[in-house]
Amino acid sequence: MLEVKNLSAGYSGNNVVHDASFNIEAGEVVMIIGSNGAGKTTLFKAVSGLLSASKGQVHFDGRDISQLPAEEVSRLGMSFVPAERHLFPRMTVRENLVLGAYPHRPDADTLASVLALFPRLEERLTQHAGTMSGGEQQMLAVGRALMSKPRLLVLDEPSTGLAPLLAQAAYEALRVLQQQGMTILVAEQQVPLAMSISDRGYVLENGLISLQGTTKELAANPGIRSAYLGVS
Amino acid sequence: MIANILDGLVFGLQLGLLATGLTLVYGLGGILNMAYGQIAVIAALVVAFSIEAGVPLLLAIVIGLLAGGLVGLILDQTILRPVYRLHEEPRVLLSLLLTLGLSFVIEGFLIWQFPLDALSIRIPGGTIDILGVPMRTGSLLASGITLVTFAALFLFFRYTSLGMAVRSVIENEEGARLVGVRPNQMLRLILFLSGVLAGLVAVTRSMVTPVDTHAGLSITVFALIVTVVGGLGSVAGAFLAGIILGIINVVAADFIGSYISLIMLLVAAALTILIRPAGLLGVPE
Repeated sequence: MLEVKNLSAGYSGNNVVHDASFNIEAGEVVMIIGSNGAGKTTLFKAVSGLLSASKGQVHFDGRDISQLPAEEVSRLGMSFVPAERHLFPRMTVRENLVLGAYPHRPDADTLASVLALFPRLEERLTQHAGTMSGGEQQMLAVGRALMSKPRLLVLDEPSTGLAPLLAQAAYEALRVLQQQGMTILVAEQQVPLAMSISDRGYVLENGLISLQGTTKELAANPGIRSAYLGVS
Repeated sequence: MIANILDGLVFGLQLGLLATGLTLVYGLGGILNMAYGQIAVIAALVVAFSIEAGVPLLLAIVIGLLAGGLVGLILDQTILRPVYRLHEEPRVLLSLLLTLGLSFVIEGFLIWQFPLDALSIRIPGGTIDILGVPMRTGSLLASGITLVTFAALFLFFRYTSLGMAVRSVIENEEGARLVGVRPNQMLRLILFLSGVLAGLVAVTRSMVTPVDTHAGLSITVFALIVTVVGGLGSVAGAFLAGIILGIINVVAADFIGSYISLIMLLVAAALTILIRPAGLLGVPE
Protein backbone atom coordinates (compact mmCIF):
# COMPACT_ATOMS: atom_id res chain seq x y z
CA MET A 1 0.00 0.00 0.00
CA LEU A 2 2.74 2.42 1.01
CA GLU A 3 6.28 2.02 -0.23
CA VAL A 4 8.99 4.47 0.76
CA LYS A 5 12.25 4.20 -1.14
CA ASN A 6 15.56 5.88 -0.25
CA LEU A 7 13.80 8.87 1.23
CA SER A 8 15.93 11.75 2.51
CA ALA A 9 14.38 14.82 4.08
CA GLY A 10 15.23 17.68 6.39
CA TYR A 11 15.15 21.41 6.86
CA SER A 12 16.95 24.14 4.88
CA GLY A 13 19.19 21.71 3.04
CA ASN A 14 20.25 19.70 6.07
CA ASN A 15 18.89 16.21 5.86
CA VAL A 16 17.65 14.74 9.12
CA VAL A 17 16.52 11.46 7.60
CA HIS A 18 18.80 9.64 5.18
CA ASP A 19 17.90 7.00 2.65
CA ALA A 20 14.96 5.60 4.56
CA SER A 21 13.15 2.67 2.94
CA PHE A 22 10.14 0.87 4.36
CA ASN A 23 6.76 -0.43 3.31
CA ILE A 24 3.37 -1.29 4.68
CA GLU A 25 0.76 -3.63 3.22
CA ALA A 26 -2.99 -3.31 3.51
CA GLY A 27 -4.26 -4.48 6.91
CA GLU A 28 -0.87 -4.29 8.60
CA VAL A 29 0.14 -2.25 11.62
CA VAL A 30 3.73 -1.10 11.27
CA MET A 31 5.72 0.89 13.81
CA ILE A 32 8.73 3.12 13.37
CA ILE A 33 10.48 3.25 16.72
CA GLY A 34 13.35 5.40 17.81
CA SER A 35 14.40 7.80 20.50
CA ASN A 36 13.61 11.50 20.64
CA GLY A 37 15.40 13.28 17.78
CA ALA A 38 15.94 10.15 15.71
CA GLY A 39 14.03 11.72 12.80
CA LYS A 40 10.63 10.03 13.12
CA THR A 41 8.69 13.29 12.84
CA THR A 42 10.72 14.49 9.86
CA LEU A 43 10.20 11.15 8.15
CA PHE A 44 6.44 11.25 8.68
CA LYS A 45 6.16 14.86 7.60
CA ALA A 46 7.93 13.98 4.37
CA VAL A 47 5.66 10.96 3.83
CA SER A 48 2.49 12.98 4.47
CA GLY A 49 3.55 15.92 2.30
CA LEU A 50 3.90 18.55 5.03
CA LEU A 51 7.59 18.61 4.15
CA SER A 52 8.95 17.97 0.68
CA ALA A 53 11.50 15.20 0.45
CA SER A 54 14.93 16.11 -0.88
CA LYS A 55 15.47 12.66 -2.37
CA GLY A 56 13.69 9.38 -2.88
CA GLN A 57 10.14 8.26 -3.61
CA VAL A 58 6.95 7.63 -1.71
CA HIS A 59 4.50 5.37 -3.51
CA PHE A 60 0.96 5.22 -2.20
CA ASP A 61 -1.15 2.62 -3.98
CA GLY A 62 1.44 2.60 -6.73
CA ARG A 63 1.35 6.34 -7.26
CA ASP A 64 4.40 8.54 -6.57
CA ILE A 65 3.24 11.11 -4.00
CA SER A 66 6.65 12.39 -2.94
CA GLN A 67 6.12 15.78 -4.58
CA LEU A 68 2.46 16.18 -3.57
CA PRO A 69 1.51 18.68 -0.86
CA ALA A 70 -0.27 17.40 2.28
CA GLU A 71 -3.75 18.48 1.13
CA GLU A 72 -3.50 16.28 -1.98
CA VAL A 73 -2.03 13.33 -0.07
CA SER A 74 -4.94 13.57 2.36
CA ARG A 75 -7.43 13.52 -0.53
CA LEU A 76 -5.83 10.33 -1.84
CA GLY A 77 -6.78 8.49 1.36
CA MET A 78 -3.84 8.85 3.73
CA SER A 79 -4.73 10.56 7.02
CA PHE A 80 -1.85 11.90 9.08
CA VAL A 81 -2.19 12.65 12.79
CA PRO A 82 0.87 14.72 13.76
CA ALA A 83 2.23 14.79 17.30
CA GLU A 84 1.14 18.45 17.57
CA ARG A 85 -2.36 17.37 16.46
CA HIS A 86 -3.04 20.63 14.61
CA LEU A 87 -6.67 20.81 15.66
CA PHE A 88 -8.87 23.85 15.01
CA PRO A 89 -8.94 25.25 18.57
CA ARG A 90 -11.77 27.77 18.28
CA MET A 91 -14.03 25.42 16.40
CA THR A 92 -16.28 22.90 18.09
CA VAL A 93 -15.55 19.20 18.30
CA ARG A 94 -18.35 18.63 15.81
CA GLU A 95 -16.89 21.17 13.37
CA ASN A 96 -13.46 19.58 13.68
CA LEU A 97 -14.96 16.20 12.85
CA VAL A 98 -17.03 17.57 9.95
CA LEU A 99 -13.89 19.15 8.49
CA GLY A 100 -12.17 15.79 8.75
CA ALA A 101 -14.41 14.60 5.93
CA TYR A 102 -13.58 17.62 3.72
CA PRO A 103 -14.06 17.99 0.74
CA HIS A 104 -16.87 15.47 1.14
CA ARG A 105 -19.95 15.74 3.32
CA PRO A 106 -19.49 13.94 6.61
CA ASP A 107 -20.91 10.46 6.50
CA ALA A 108 -23.36 9.65 9.34
CA ASP A 109 -22.12 6.07 9.74
CA THR A 110 -18.48 7.19 9.93
CA LEU A 111 -19.38 9.84 12.49
CA ALA A 112 -21.28 7.24 14.52
CA SER A 113 -18.33 4.84 14.47
CA VAL A 114 -15.90 7.59 15.52
CA LEU A 115 -18.18 8.54 18.40
CA ALA A 116 -18.53 4.87 19.34
CA LEU A 117 -14.74 4.60 19.45
CA PHE A 118 -14.43 7.81 21.49
CA PRO A 119 -17.64 8.22 23.52
CA ARG A 120 -16.02 11.17 25.28
CA LEU A 121 -16.17 13.16 22.06
CA GLU A 122 -19.92 12.69 21.85
CA GLU A 123 -20.31 14.39 25.25
CA ARG A 124 -18.23 17.31 24.00
CA LEU A 125 -19.55 17.86 20.49
CA THR A 126 -20.39 21.51 21.10
CA GLN A 127 -17.23 22.33 23.06
CA HIS A 128 -14.32 24.19 21.47
CA ALA A 129 -11.44 21.85 20.68
CA GLY A 130 -8.92 24.21 22.30
CA THR A 131 -10.58 23.94 25.71
CA MET A 132 -10.28 20.16 25.96
CA SER A 133 -7.71 18.10 27.86
CA GLY A 134 -4.70 16.57 26.11
CA GLY A 135 -6.26 13.12 26.07
CA GLU A 136 -9.48 14.42 24.55
CA GLN A 137 -7.56 16.41 21.95
CA GLN A 138 -5.69 13.27 20.97
CA MET A 139 -9.00 11.44 20.56
CA LEU A 140 -10.33 14.29 18.44
CA ALA A 141 -7.20 14.30 16.26
CA VAL A 142 -7.60 10.59 15.56
CA GLY A 143 -11.36 10.96 15.14
CA ARG A 144 -10.91 13.83 12.68
CA ALA A 145 -8.43 11.74 10.69
CA LEU A 146 -10.92 8.86 10.53
CA MET A 147 -13.76 11.00 9.20
CA SER A 148 -12.34 10.90 5.68
CA LYS A 149 -12.49 7.07 5.76
CA PRO A 150 -8.76 6.80 5.07
CA ARG A 151 -7.16 3.67 3.71
CA LEU A 152 -3.99 4.41 5.66
CA LEU A 153 -3.81 6.03 9.08
CA VAL A 154 -0.42 7.53 9.94
CA LEU A 155 0.20 8.61 13.53
CA ASP A 156 3.24 10.43 14.87
CA GLU A 157 3.76 9.75 18.59
CA PRO A 158 0.14 9.39 19.65
CA SER A 159 1.34 9.13 23.26
CA THR A 160 2.91 12.63 23.23
CA GLY A 161 1.96 14.68 26.25
CA LEU A 162 -0.32 12.03 27.67
CA ALA A 163 -0.17 10.48 31.14
CA PRO A 164 0.62 6.73 31.00
CA LEU A 165 -3.00 5.64 31.44
CA LEU A 166 -4.22 7.97 28.71
CA ALA A 167 -1.44 6.85 26.38
CA GLN A 168 -2.54 3.28 26.93
CA ALA A 169 -6.14 4.27 26.23
CA ALA A 170 -5.02 5.88 22.96
CA TYR A 171 -3.38 2.61 21.95
CA GLU A 172 -6.48 0.64 22.99
CA ALA A 173 -8.40 2.72 20.45
CA LEU A 174 -5.79 1.97 17.79
CA ARG A 175 -6.11 -1.71 18.59
CA VAL A 176 -9.86 -1.52 17.97
CA LEU A 177 -9.16 0.13 14.62
CA GLN A 178 -6.64 -2.58 13.78
CA GLN A 179 -9.26 -5.23 14.51
CA GLN A 180 -11.62 -3.42 12.18
CA GLY A 181 -8.99 -3.87 9.49
CA MET A 182 -7.45 -0.40 9.42
CA THR A 183 -3.92 -0.13 8.04
CA ILE A 184 -1.86 1.82 10.56
CA LEU A 185 1.64 3.29 10.47
CA VAL A 186 2.77 4.64 13.81
CA ALA A 187 5.93 6.32 15.06
CA GLU A 188 6.59 5.99 18.74
CA GLN A 189 9.37 6.40 21.28
CA GLN A 190 7.46 4.56 23.99
CA VAL A 191 8.33 1.30 22.35
CA PRO A 192 6.28 -1.12 24.49
CA LEU A 193 3.12 0.80 23.54
CA ALA A 194 3.89 0.56 19.83
CA MET A 195 4.78 -3.11 20.16
CA SER A 196 1.40 -3.80 21.76
CA ILE A 197 -0.37 -3.25 18.42
CA SER A 198 2.26 -3.72 15.69
CA ASP A 199 2.86 -6.62 13.34
CA ARG A 200 6.25 -5.34 12.19
CA GLY A 201 8.58 -2.51 12.84
CA TYR A 202 11.60 -0.47 11.83
CA VAL A 203 14.15 1.12 14.13
CA LEU A 204 15.21 4.65 13.24
CA GLU A 205 18.50 5.83 14.72
CA ASN A 206 20.15 9.16 13.88
CA GLY A 207 18.05 9.43 10.74
CA LEU A 208 18.92 5.95 9.48
CA ILE A 209 16.82 2.82 9.55
CA SER A 210 19.15 0.49 11.41
CA LEU A 211 16.98 -2.55 11.94
CA GLN A 212 13.73 -4.09 10.86
CA GLY A 213 11.72 -7.17 11.62
CA THR A 214 8.53 -8.54 13.05
CA THR A 215 7.51 -7.22 16.43
CA LYS A 216 8.47 -10.56 17.95
CA GLU A 217 11.98 -10.45 16.46
CA LEU A 218 12.51 -6.86 17.53
CA ALA A 219 11.25 -7.55 21.06
CA ALA A 220 13.76 -10.39 21.31
CA ASN A 221 16.69 -8.36 19.98
CA PRO A 222 19.17 -7.69 22.80
CA GLY A 223 20.07 -4.23 21.45
CA ILE A 224 16.41 -3.19 21.35
CA ARG A 225 15.78 -4.68 24.76
CA SER A 226 18.48 -2.62 26.40
CA ALA A 227 17.97 0.58 24.41
CA TYR A 228 14.18 0.83 24.27
CA LEU A 229 12.63 -1.68 26.62
CA GLY A 230 14.70 -0.99 29.67
CA VAL A 231 15.84 -4.59 29.90
CA SER A 232 19.55 -5.26 30.24
CA MET B 1 -27.02 61.68 22.56
CA ILE B 2 -29.33 59.08 21.03
CA ALA B 3 -28.84 60.79 17.69
CA ASN B 4 -25.07 60.49 18.16
CA ILE B 5 -25.27 56.82 18.97
CA LEU B 6 -27.50 56.12 16.00
CA ASP B 7 -25.16 58.03 13.69
CA GLY B 8 -22.28 56.13 15.25
CA LEU B 9 -24.04 52.85 14.59
CA VAL B 10 -24.57 53.74 10.93
CA PHE B 11 -20.90 54.64 10.54
CA GLY B 12 -19.77 51.77 12.75
CA LEU B 13 -21.55 49.14 10.68
CA GLN B 14 -19.71 50.43 7.65
CA LEU B 15 -16.41 50.39 9.50
CA GLY B 16 -17.09 46.81 10.48
CA LEU B 17 -17.81 45.72 6.94
CA LEU B 18 -14.77 47.66 5.76
CA ALA B 19 -12.51 45.83 8.19
CA THR B 20 -14.00 42.44 7.40
CA GLY B 21 -12.49 42.35 3.93
CA LEU B 22 -9.08 43.31 5.27
CA THR B 23 -9.07 41.12 8.37
CA LEU B 24 -10.07 37.94 6.52
CA VAL B 25 -7.26 38.26 4.01
CA TYR B 26 -4.80 38.91 6.81
CA GLY B 27 -6.05 36.11 9.03
CA LEU B 28 -6.13 33.62 6.19
CA GLY B 29 -3.02 34.43 4.26
CA GLY B 30 -0.86 36.75 6.35
CA ILE B 31 -1.38 39.42 3.71
CA LEU B 32 -1.87 43.05 4.62
CA ASN B 33 -3.58 44.59 1.62
CA MET B 34 -2.77 48.31 1.61
CA ALA B 35 -4.50 48.73 -1.76
CA TYR B 36 -7.81 47.77 -0.18
CA GLY B 37 -9.21 51.31 -0.24
CA GLN B 38 -8.26 51.73 -3.89
CA ILE B 39 -10.18 48.56 -4.73
CA ALA B 40 -13.22 50.18 -3.10
CA VAL B 41 -12.66 53.32 -5.19
CA ILE B 42 -12.32 51.31 -8.40
CA ALA B 43 -15.59 49.55 -7.63
CA ALA B 44 -17.25 52.90 -6.87
CA LEU B 45 -16.07 54.41 -10.17
CA VAL B 46 -17.23 51.34 -12.10
CA VAL B 47 -20.69 51.73 -10.56
CA ALA B 48 -20.70 55.48 -11.30
CA PHE B 49 -19.66 55.01 -14.95
CA SER B 50 -22.13 52.16 -15.43
CA ILE B 51 -24.96 54.38 -14.17
CA GLU B 52 -23.76 57.17 -16.48
CA ALA B 53 -23.80 54.70 -19.37
CA GLY B 54 -27.45 54.00 -18.68
CA VAL B 55 -27.12 50.70 -16.81
CA PRO B 56 -29.92 50.24 -14.22
CA LEU B 57 -28.78 50.99 -10.67
CA LEU B 58 -28.93 47.45 -9.26
CA LEU B 59 -27.11 45.95 -12.22
CA ALA B 60 -24.53 48.74 -12.03
CA ILE B 61 -23.93 47.86 -8.38
CA VAL B 62 -23.51 44.17 -9.22
CA ILE B 63 -21.01 45.06 -11.96
CA GLY B 64 -19.11 47.28 -9.49
CA LEU B 65 -18.94 44.54 -6.83
CA LEU B 66 -17.72 42.01 -9.39
CA ALA B 67 -15.11 44.53 -10.53
CA GLY B 68 -13.89 44.75 -6.92
CA GLY B 69 -13.74 40.97 -6.70
CA LEU B 70 -11.90 40.81 -10.00
CA VAL B 71 -9.22 43.19 -8.73
CA GLY B 72 -8.79 40.83 -5.76
CA LEU B 73 -8.31 37.89 -8.12
CA ILE B 74 -5.83 39.87 -10.22
CA LEU B 75 -3.80 40.64 -7.07
CA ASP B 76 -3.78 36.92 -6.29
CA GLN B 77 -2.43 36.07 -9.73
CA THR B 78 0.11 38.91 -10.02
CA ILE B 79 1.84 40.88 -7.29
CA LEU B 80 0.97 38.43 -4.50
CA ARG B 81 2.78 35.59 -6.29
CA PRO B 82 6.20 36.36 -4.79
CA VAL B 83 4.52 36.97 -1.42
CA TYR B 84 3.14 33.41 -1.35
CA ARG B 85 6.68 32.03 -1.34
CA LEU B 86 7.44 33.69 1.99
CA HIS B 87 6.13 32.93 5.45
CA GLU B 88 5.55 34.66 8.75
CA GLU B 89 6.84 38.23 9.15
CA PRO B 90 8.65 38.57 5.79
CA ARG B 91 5.39 37.60 4.12
CA VAL B 92 3.40 40.29 5.93
CA LEU B 93 6.06 42.91 5.22
CA LEU B 94 6.43 42.09 1.52
CA SER B 95 2.65 42.08 1.04
CA LEU B 96 2.45 45.43 2.80
CA LEU B 97 5.18 46.98 0.64
CA LEU B 98 3.93 45.61 -2.67
CA THR B 99 0.29 46.52 -2.10
CA LEU B 100 1.27 49.94 -0.75
CA GLY B 101 3.21 50.56 -3.96
CA LEU B 102 0.25 49.35 -5.96
CA SER B 103 -2.08 51.64 -4.04
CA PHE B 104 0.05 54.66 -5.08
CA VAL B 105 -0.01 53.53 -8.71
CA ILE B 106 -3.77 53.00 -8.74
CA GLU B 107 -4.50 56.24 -6.89
CA GLY B 108 -2.16 58.21 -9.14
CA PHE B 109 -3.80 56.78 -12.22
CA LEU B 110 -7.33 57.41 -10.95
CA ILE B 111 -6.59 60.99 -9.93
CA TRP B 112 -4.94 61.64 -13.29
CA GLN B 113 -7.76 60.15 -15.35
CA PHE B 114 -10.83 60.80 -13.21
CA PRO B 115 -9.98 63.72 -10.90
CA LEU B 116 -13.53 64.91 -10.38
CA ASP B 117 -15.53 61.68 -10.57
CA ALA B 118 -17.34 60.31 -7.59
CA LEU B 119 -20.07 57.84 -6.74
CA SER B 120 -23.09 59.24 -5.00
CA ILE B 121 -26.21 57.13 -4.86
CA ARG B 122 -29.23 59.19 -3.89
CA ILE B 123 -31.88 57.25 -2.03
CA PRO B 124 -35.24 59.05 -2.25
CA GLY B 125 -37.56 59.40 0.74
CA GLY B 126 -36.11 62.08 3.05
CA THR B 127 -36.00 60.95 6.67
CA ILE B 128 -37.61 58.35 8.89
CA ASP B 129 -37.90 58.74 12.67
CA ILE B 130 -36.03 56.12 14.71
CA LEU B 131 -36.41 56.51 18.51
CA GLY B 132 -37.49 60.07 17.83
CA VAL B 133 -34.43 60.85 15.78
CA PRO B 134 -34.91 61.66 12.10
CA MET B 135 -32.60 59.33 10.11
CA ARG B 136 -31.95 59.68 6.41
CA THR B 137 -33.30 56.80 4.37
CA GLY B 138 -29.89 56.49 2.69
CA SER B 139 -28.26 55.84 6.07
CA LEU B 140 -30.91 53.32 7.03
CA LEU B 141 -30.70 51.46 3.74
CA ALA B 142 -26.89 51.40 3.94
CA SER B 143 -27.08 49.98 7.48
CA GLY B 144 -29.71 47.45 6.44
CA ILE B 145 -27.55 46.20 3.56
CA THR B 146 -24.55 45.97 5.89
CA LEU B 147 -26.48 44.00 8.51
CA VAL B 148 -27.81 41.59 5.89
CA THR B 149 -24.26 41.15 4.58
CA PHE B 150 -22.96 40.38 8.06
CA ALA B 151 -25.75 37.86 8.57
CA ALA B 152 -24.91 36.21 5.25
CA LEU B 153 -21.19 36.09 6.15
CA PHE B 154 -22.06 34.59 9.54
CA LEU B 155 -24.17 31.85 7.96
CA PHE B 156 -21.54 31.18 5.30
CA PHE B 157 -18.71 30.77 7.81
CA ARG B 158 -20.77 28.88 10.38
CA TYR B 159 -22.74 26.44 8.28
CA THR B 160 -21.28 25.86 4.83
CA SER B 161 -18.48 23.42 4.27
CA LEU B 162 -16.58 26.01 2.21
CA GLY B 163 -16.96 28.59 4.97
CA MET B 164 -15.74 26.12 7.57
CA ALA B 165 -12.78 25.25 5.36
CA VAL B 166 -11.85 28.94 5.22
CA ARG B 167 -12.02 29.15 9.02
CA SER B 168 -9.93 26.01 9.35
CA VAL B 169 -7.07 27.70 7.50
CA ILE B 170 -7.31 30.73 9.81
CA GLU B 171 -7.33 28.39 12.82
CA ASN B 172 -4.46 26.12 11.82
CA GLU B 173 -3.12 26.01 8.28
CA GLU B 174 -1.25 22.70 8.68
CA GLY B 175 -4.31 21.11 10.23
CA ALA B 176 -6.40 22.39 7.34
CA ARG B 177 -4.01 20.89 4.81
CA LEU B 178 -4.05 17.56 6.66
CA VAL B 179 -7.82 17.27 6.20
CA GLY B 180 -7.52 18.13 2.51
CA VAL B 181 -8.27 21.87 2.46
CA ARG B 182 -6.28 23.70 -0.25
CA PRO B 183 -5.12 26.92 1.45
CA ASN B 184 -4.27 28.75 -1.78
CA GLN B 185 -7.76 28.09 -3.15
CA MET B 186 -9.29 29.44 0.04
CA LEU B 187 -7.09 32.52 -0.16
CA ARG B 188 -8.15 33.16 -3.76
CA LEU B 189 -11.79 32.88 -2.73
CA ILE B 190 -11.29 35.29 0.16
CA LEU B 191 -9.38 37.80 -1.99
CA PHE B 192 -12.35 37.79 -4.33
CA LEU B 193 -14.77 38.16 -1.42
CA SER B 194 -12.62 40.92 0.04
CA GLY B 195 -12.80 42.85 -3.25
CA VAL B 196 -16.57 42.43 -3.34
CA LEU B 197 -16.84 43.66 0.26
CA ALA B 198 -14.63 46.68 -0.55
CA GLY B 199 -17.03 47.47 -3.38
CA LEU B 200 -20.04 47.01 -1.13
CA VAL B 201 -18.58 49.42 1.41
CA ALA B 202 -18.09 51.98 -1.35
CA VAL B 203 -21.68 51.52 -2.53
CA THR B 204 -23.27 51.77 0.93
CA ARG B 205 -21.03 54.67 1.87
CA SER B 206 -22.09 56.51 -1.28
CA MET B 207 -25.68 56.40 -0.04
CA VAL B 208 -24.59 58.61 2.87
CA THR B 209 -21.77 60.71 1.43
CA PRO B 210 -20.04 60.81 -2.00
CA VAL B 211 -17.12 58.42 -2.51
CA ASP B 212 -14.55 60.21 -4.66
CA THR B 213 -11.29 59.31 -6.37
CA HIS B 214 -9.24 60.32 -3.33
CA ALA B 215 -11.10 58.19 -0.77
CA GLY B 216 -8.80 55.14 -1.02
CA LEU B 217 -6.20 55.92 1.63
CA SER B 218 -8.70 56.90 4.30
CA ILE B 219 -10.71 53.73 3.63
CA THR B 220 -7.58 51.61 4.11
CA VAL B 221 -6.60 53.48 7.28
CA PHE B 222 -10.07 53.09 8.80
CA ALA B 223 -10.08 49.40 7.87
CA LEU B 224 -6.65 48.90 9.48
CA ILE B 225 -7.66 50.61 12.72
CA VAL B 226 -10.84 48.55 13.03
CA THR B 227 -8.93 45.36 12.16
CA VAL B 228 -6.38 46.01 14.91
CA VAL B 229 -9.09 46.67 17.49
CA GLY B 230 -11.26 43.74 16.43
CA GLY B 231 -8.54 41.15 16.20
CA LEU B 232 -6.88 39.87 13.05
CA GLY B 233 -8.89 37.26 11.20
CA SER B 234 -12.09 37.70 13.20
CA VAL B 235 -15.28 38.75 11.40
CA ALA B 236 -17.18 39.02 14.68
CA GLY B 237 -14.31 41.14 16.02
CA ALA B 238 -14.51 43.45 13.00
CA PHE B 239 -18.27 43.83 13.52
CA LEU B 240 -17.93 44.61 17.23
CA ALA B 241 -14.93 46.92 16.82
CA GLY B 242 -16.62 48.72 13.93
CA ILE B 243 -19.66 49.56 16.03
CA ILE B 244 -17.63 50.64 19.06
CA LEU B 245 -15.28 52.80 16.98
CA GLY B 246 -18.16 54.20 14.94
CA ILE B 247 -19.81 55.46 18.09
CA ILE B 248 -16.51 56.78 19.53
CA ASN B 249 -15.90 58.58 16.25
CA VAL B 250 -19.26 60.32 16.09
CA VAL B 251 -19.36 61.19 19.78
CA ALA B 252 -15.80 62.56 19.70
CA ALA B 253 -16.55 64.57 16.58
CA ASP B 254 -19.66 66.04 18.19
CA PHE B 255 -18.24 66.86 21.62
CA ILE B 256 -14.72 67.86 20.67
CA GLY B 257 -14.56 68.41 16.94
CA SER B 258 -14.29 66.37 13.80
CA TYR B 259 -10.56 67.14 13.57
CA ILE B 260 -10.05 65.02 16.68
CA SER B 261 -12.16 62.01 15.73
CA LEU B 262 -9.55 60.16 13.66
CA ILE B 263 -7.04 60.74 16.46
CA MET B 264 -9.52 59.25 18.92
CA LEU B 265 -9.77 56.14 16.75
CA LEU B 266 -5.98 55.83 16.62
CA VAL B 267 -5.85 56.22 20.41
CA ALA B 268 -8.46 53.47 20.74
CA ALA B 269 -6.38 51.23 18.49
CA ALA B 270 -3.17 52.00 20.43
CA LEU B 271 -4.90 51.30 23.75
CA THR B 272 -6.21 48.01 22.38
CA ILE B 273 -2.72 46.92 21.42
CA LEU B 274 -1.42 47.87 24.87
CA ILE B 275 -4.19 46.17 26.83
CA ARG B 276 -5.18 43.30 24.56
CA PRO B 277 -2.58 42.81 21.81
CA ALA B 278 -4.67 40.21 19.95
CA GLY B 279 -7.63 42.60 19.68
CA LEU B 280 -11.14 42.22 21.09
CA LEU B 281 -11.82 38.81 19.56
CA GLY B 282 -8.44 37.84 18.11
CA VAL B 283 -6.49 34.74 19.03
CA PRO B 284 -3.75 35.42 21.58
CA GLU B 285 -0.45 33.92 20.46
